[in-house]
Amino acid sequence: MKMIIHDLDSAVFNSFIPHVASDISVLSDTGHIKPCIGCFGCWIKTPGICVRKDGYENLGKMLSECDEVTIISKCIYGSYSPFIRNVLDRSIPYLLPYFTSKNGETHHQRRYNNSFVFTVHFYGEDLTEAERETAKELVAANGINFYSSKEKVFFYDRMESMKGALG
Amino acid sequence: MKIALMNGSPKPGNNNSGILLKKIEPLLGEGNELTSISTSGKELTPDQYRALCEMDVLLFAFPLYIDALPSHLFRIIIELERYMKEYKEKEVRVYVLINNGFYEGHQCHIAMKIMENWCKRSGLTFCGGIGQGAGEMMGTISNVPLGHGPLKDLGKAMVRISENIANGTQVEKRMLSPNVPRFFWKLMATHFFWNTTARKNHLNRRDILRKL
Ligand SMILES: Cc1cc2nc3c(=O)[nH]c(=O)nc-3n(C[C@H](O)[C@H](O)[C@H](O)COP(=O)(O)O)c2cc1C
Repeated sequence: MKMIIHDLDSAVFNSFIPHVASDISVLSDTGHIKPCIGCFGCWIKTPGICVRKDGYENLGKMLSECDEVTIISKCIYGSYSPFIRNVLDRSIPYLLPYFTSKNGETHHQRRYNNSFVFTVHFYGEDLTEAERETAKELVAANGINFYSSKEKVFFYDRMESMKGALG
Repeated sequence: MKIALMNGSPKPGNNNSGILLKKIEPLLGEGNELTSISTSGKELTPDQYRALCEMDVLLFAFPLYIDALPSHLFRIIIELERYMKEYKEKEVRVYVLINNGFYEGHQCHIAMKIMENWCKRSGLTFCGGIGQGAGEMMGTISNVPLGHGPLKDLGKAMVRISENIANGTQVEKRMLSPNVPRFFWKLMATHFFWNTTARKNHLNRRDILRKL
């Protein structure tokens, strides 16, 4: 299974990827996503599921079924856009609360055994070098926390120039 | 000086960012006008955004979320960039107190850079700050005075940052782990934090580990 998480307007997304294959699930901004409130309920109340019910509570399970996760996000200050940030915050039920060490740093243990290729397409008109560097570091750090098998990062000055790359 | 204490934790009630702000408050000295702003559970009003543009100092305290800023706070700083461009008339300096769950405070370094990049875009003066690891320990050790025990290094860094706020200079970015060994922190966090809370919710270890 593959998942695309994007912050594009649906018309724009459909023009970029008119036919979504049946093994791809697409997660987009319905305008109703709730922020994580840091309650850790997804670990110690209803393990594996977020306690906030808004259609985005099953991200942990969804990620467990993926071998590819692709993010399309505006790059803002070297970060993902708020919707994508929100989805990632709500994704911690994919992991366990317990800790482990990786390269001498603490991280969470994995709940599931799968791993996915993590690809991020960042768009943004006048990104600075510092912002690009921050964004690359962010994707690499997220890749470690989410046990991705590989990370790939692409930047596009114009949203339209993504079209070819995504098709 | 007008200083805004921005609590960027989405947790309602007590949160570690709030504990850090409470600890630094007495160090900021006399004669300042302090405004505390919570970002948990509600949007900031246009009046609050405009008031932030008139501050001398914005002191942000927030938790690290997936190596970055919590999404609700990220929405706020994007909006604040817009307000700053329209209403800011003098220099506004920004200091940052990040706390993270893992032991190593240096995992906050990317979020610190995001704040720095935001300052550049918004015309604000980024003055650095602290990334403090093992943030969830703060609740249990909130009675320990700064500069003692597990808060030894944090105490020194907080004194330094408050001096810098007072005399308008920059602090470097200081990434700190608590002054307790990592194995001890891990043991406490695992048994007294996760397992104890889970038991209160009538869950055992198998429940916590479940796959869906
Ligand atoms: C959704 C979510 C994501 C988190 N991501 C990280 C992370 O990437 N690295 C880390 O060290 N801690 C992470 N944490 C832990 C928090 O930074 C930590 O619990 C912090 O002490 C919370 O501070 P607060 O009480 O001020 O909200 C995360 C917590 C949550 C709820």
